[in-house]
Amino acid sequence: MSIQATMLGSYPKPPPEGGHFGLRKTLHAMERGEADEGDLQHAKQELVVEVIADQEDAGLDVVTDGQVGWDDILTPFARNLAGFSTGGLLRWFDNNVYYRRPICTGPVEWRGPSSVEGWTFAQSVAHVPVKAVIPGPITFARMSVDDHYRNRGKFVSALASVLAQEAFELEAAGATIIQIDEPALLNAPEDLTLAKSSLGLITSQLQSATTIVCTYFGDAKRLGPELWELPADCFGLDFVAGPANEQLVDDMPKDKALQAGIIDARNTALEPTAGLVATIEPLVDALGDRLSVCPSAGLEFLPREKAKAKLERLAEAAKAVAA
Amino acid sequence: MSSVDLKGPGLWTTSVGSLPKPGYLTKARGQRARGEISTEELRELELAATREWVEFQESIGTDLVVDGEQYRGDMVAFFAEELVGFEIGGLVRSYGNRYYRKPIATGAVGRDHAMTVDWWHYAQSLTDAPVKGMLTGPYTICDWSFNEHYSTRRDLVLDLAKVIRDEALDLERAGARYIQIDEPAASTRMDELDLVIEAMEVVTEPLSVHTITHICYGDFHRAYPKMLEIPVDQIDLEFANSHYSLLSEFSAHPFSKYLGLGVTDVHSHELEPVDDLVEGIRKVLEHLPPERIFVDPDCGLKTRSPEEAKAKLSSIKKAVDVVRAEL
Repeated sequence: MSIQATMLGSYPKPPPEGGHFGLRKTLHAMERGEADEGDLQHAKQELVVEVIADQEDAGLDVVTDGQVGWDDILTPFARNLAGFSTGGLLRWFDNNVYYRRPICTGPVEWRGPSSVEGWTFAQSVAHVPVKAVIPGPITFARMSVDDHYRNRGKFVSALASVLAQEAFELEAAGATIIQIDEPALLNAPEDLTLAKSSLGLITSQLQSATTIVCTYFGDAKRLGPELWELPADCFGLDFVAGPANEQLVDDMPKDKALQAGIIDARNTALEPTAGLVATIEPLVDALGDRLSVCPSAGLEFLPREKAKAKLERLAEAAKAVAA
Repeated sequence: MSSVDLKGPGLWTTSVGSLPKPGYLTKARGQRARGEISTEELRELELAATREWVEFQESIGTDLVVDGEQYRGDMVAFFAEELVGFEIGGLVRSYGNRYYRKPIATGAVGRDHAMTVDWWHYAQSLTDAPVKGMLTGPYTICDWSFNEHYSTRRDLVLDLAKVIRDEALDLERAGARYIQIDEPAASTRMDELDLVIEAMEVVTEPLSVHTITHICYGDFHRAYPKMLEIPVDQIDLEFANSHYSLLSEFSAHPFSKYLGLGVTDVHSHELEPVDDLVEGIRKVLEHLPPERIFVDPDCGLKTRSPEEAKAKLSSIKKAVDVVRAEL
């Protein structure tokens, strides 16, 4: 029996205490005209190498590029799609972290991949699988302004089409795990039917990649049992901000896997291994090897040292239970 | 509605709080962090920068002046550093590649000395215009810190409220007639707006001065009109960044306080045309009389360069002069 310890998504960009602010320095140099796009690309890649090494050192079985090249999860996609401009800063859910709100001003159209190059580089420097993460169509739509379709169904469908193309290209490039982030779905039970059809559009493009529909910052109780009808192989649920998720697990269909967020990605207090083990054990009893564990959300909310210490605990707890 | 003692027809100009640090000060802060200069040497430069900003505000005719927070690294970390019960944590990101040190509450929170009164005294000694006392609110200090001590957020917020109340009372005793208690995090969780209100009640209840709070970058449409229950005389809001969308709410539920009207985007290098600012102010005048409006940038200007900040503040004054002439 093994329980995979995996990364959810983001990882802190600032260096550890005394470390090198390579990316930020390069951005400042660009503002002064002393560095170019090539330098920026290089600085981003250096940071990706660093954060993947952190995750591998901590003992994770699946890593991400830490999303360290992105300002937020939407902007890199919105900038690369036809039909979007980027608007003002807005709070990212209930965090003191901000994102630029995409504004849809015309038909949403594919103009080439947004995340494939980044994923390919990350996988080339990693020794374990790198998970590809894209925003889900419901979250993308709800965090944007729609000045064009003026109809949520049409807007979501348009987004699902381009995100399906992105997922297809990711799999073609070699990604075996594709996570679709839908945190906004937790507060939008009225969008569940739309979520089913739009996620179906994405996952039906894929041959063999494992798909995860991932939620965080709360529980999925309001979505009811229909949640399990979402067309994905695995469900990401946050057991820290959403303790009520514990009650949902018993009803999980036998052909679905669970990615359980069990360490608090938003507070520095370090969880004792024994407590994590106690959280994992009943989940393993219910799910067996269909369980993987990860942080409750992206780790960008923590300082680097704390994030790494938490990943070490996560991997340690997963190994302890498996043994 | 009589707590404002400024002259003129209204549309008073002010700043939200922070202003950019001049290059020499940013450099000196780095030197201090590396132990290359003393605290006293750094303080001399903080005093010089404060003087420059007060003089600039006077030079453009600002009605309600701020000290520009040249001695604060960050609006939450500054208080956490001064208070008992906090440790300064590592760097976390707010947006893009802007990082800040997020404090950690590791013990019971308390205050063993006044934190801002000397700075207020100094700034006020430099000008005849009133200088705002500037504090960060209890809810925001809690929300922008990690918590390793208190079992509930409410316990931490209410302990912080007592501390900020004591600081506000010290400012009032020193002579401040306008005290701003910033709660940018207030629009974060609608289910905690009652806690924001409860904590602000603790802070403002014993005060008799004009009280202001600043809220930003959240879902105002959900927080409105409930935010009007926050017990302050004035609420300061961003209008440029949100494209004046909140005005639609003012028709259904009239804005019942003094308004701090943010008319320039603080995250853009671009200097908005004065005409755009004039148009924005005119829109708001359809909902509120000029004597209930203070005009300022959307938020603190500290992330802009000093030149950009000066240009934006000057544009605001020009726009206000245009609209005042029409009154």
